[in-house]
Amino acid sequence: MNPPNRFSHDSVPGAAEETLRLIASLPAPEGLEERVHSALRAAPRTARILHWPVALTSSSAWMRSSAMRSAAAAAIVCVVAGGGWSIYSRVQPPKVIAMPAHVAAPGGFSNAGAMRTPQTLNGPVVKHPVPKPAHAKTTARTAPTPLHRGQPVAAQAPKPPAPPAN
Amino acid sequence: MEIANSAVNDQARQHAEETTLAALVSQYSGTLYRVAFSVLRNAADAEDAVQEAFMRVLRHRDTLGEVRDQRVWLVRIVWNIVLDRKRRAKTRPETDDVTELTRVLPAAGLSAEERAAAAQHHAHVLACVEKLPAKEREVLMLSAFEELSSVEIASVLAITESSVRSRLFRARNLMAGLLNHSRSVR
Repeated sequence: MNPPNRFSHDSVPGAAEETLRLIASLPAPEGLEERVHSALRAAPRTARILHWPVALTSSSAWMRSSAMRSAAAAAIVCVVAGGGWSIYSRVQPPKVIAMPAHVAAPGGFSNAGAMRTPQTLNGPVVKHPVPKPAHAKTTARTAPTPLHRGQPVAAQAPKPPAPPAN
Repeated sequence: MEIANSAVNDQARQHAEETTLAALVSQYSGTLYRVAFSVLRNAADAEDAVQEAFMRVLRHRDTLGEVRDQRVWLVRIVWNIVLDRKRRAKTRPETDDVTELTRVLPAAGLSAEERAAAAQHHAHVLACVEKLPAKEREVLMLSAFEELSSVEIASVLAITESSVRSRLFRARNLMAGLLNHSRSVR
């Protein structure tokens, strides 16, 4: 038994409740069941589970032999591998890499036709010998013996005399 | 032997499913028709909806054993069907409620004029019901079925029982306002 409908009808306007109840209690038309039964009988029942043919069921003899099973598995592997290879050999990846066309941003500043030059590595810089002026040669000749390159000038200056000993 | 056994089992299972389906048709076709008619308000459309519901059951008869409450399950199926049909039929001109109600409503002890007046009144009430929001309208219509409890209505609409109660409360208030407004306009 179902629990009774606990929605009391006292708070609802009587007219609406009466109308809805009246419609909800209308009897079904005569012969509805028979028509539904006949429709169900006429419905196609082909959408059932597929049944394997008897020759392919696991109970048949050929499937029990391990050699036959291995041969069938090997044949399946060959077919799959051959199909994959045939597809691979026909469809080769394209050699040309398509670059997307440069699209200028609408509404922005234009580049005024400037082209970007890629920054490359600096090549070797050839230094041409700079000719020295003539007076530099003469001064070089009259100059005293050159200072030792390893020592600073202050180190090559004459040392002050030692203080007298007491 | 295995094949023979499985074939016998299949036949037995199929026979059991057909018996269950026939029992469902005999037991619930009337209920489903009334649910469908309360929404569609057209006898032919309601019958079509009942047939479609049982066709769906036929398609899923393998799962019949898993259904806990077959009556609520069937009501839910036909409810979804009629709502879908009504949604699709919105583009078509509305059903003439007055004519259809005059035809189907019981007319015991009523004159022709009284029948026409009663049909007009019911059509007016149903027009007010149609103005309700969908959620409230659905609960109000299902609550008119005495054989459906609040728990079952909640199950059909896939909501909680407290939602059913709150929606029904709002529906009644809205209905009262609509009917009072129409009376004052007259």
